[in-house]
Amino acid sequence: MDLIFWFFAFMAVSAGLLTITAKDPLPCALSLMSVFIAFSGLYLHLHAPLMAIFQVTIYAGAILVLVLFVMMLLTTPGERLKSIQKNVPFRIMGAQLGLCLTALLGFGMKGISDLVVQARLPDGFGHPSSFGTLFFKDYLLHFEVASVLLLVALVGSIYLGKKSL
Amino acid sequence: MAPLNHYIILATIIFSLGVIGFVTRRNALILFMSVELMLNSINLMLVAFSRFKADMAGQVMAIFIYAVAAAEVAVGLAILIAISRHIKEIDVTKFNLLKW
Repeated sequence: MDLIFWFFAFMAVSAGLLTITAKDPLPCALSLMSVFIAFSGLYLHLHAPLMAIFQVTIYAGAILVLVLFVMMLLTTPGERLKSIQKNVPFRIMGAQLGLCLTALLGFGMKGISDLVVQARLPDGFGHPSSFGTLFFKDYLLHFEVASVLLLVALVGSIYLGKKSL
Repeated sequence: MAPLNHYIILATIIFSLGVIGFVTRRNALILFMSVELMLNSINLMLVAFSRFKADMAGQVMAIFIYAVAAAEVAVGLAILIAISRHIKEIDVTKFNLLKW
């Protein structure tokens, strides 16, 4: 029994359920934040402290605040949308899709995971220094491409946000 | 230490929750949040595999997913604001300007 895993897994699944079922967008965003926090706890448990920090700063810090700001721009307090589609075929399709995906991915990935033997962790696994060495040596080109992608997204979102498009 | 299977099942459940939310909700903002759920579950799977194979490349891949997710959210929300300026709605069933 791994109590830390079960605690954060329960937190993530229940907050994820709340994310897709709550009526207003604001509770959705806040429960999404608890999913992110639970995931960062799991990352710490998986010996990835740097990923846990990035999870909190980038996701719970930057992306969620962006979503909340857009929510303030777009929705007035009294406005509510019906929690799910009125269209029944959409709901049935969603439920079927979810069940099929869970079954398919679960079985498929279980086959892969049986091939993975748990390796002993080398010294310095997950430390920022070994992460930085790997990131800026072996994956330098990928890093540059990602920076170009972010630049393009920056320019594009500024252009799209103009008053008169 | 929980076995790898537990992490895989958890990530699969979160991914499916994201898919169900994406198909069944109508509010465009919540659609973005569902996409975030899916991306996060993939990140969890990458980090779990990187831990169990003792290979840090998985964590580096997760960082690239962060970059893609940030770009996606920035551009997507800008598009959403541009659309809602035109038709004053964030209900995705009302976005039918291109329908014929």
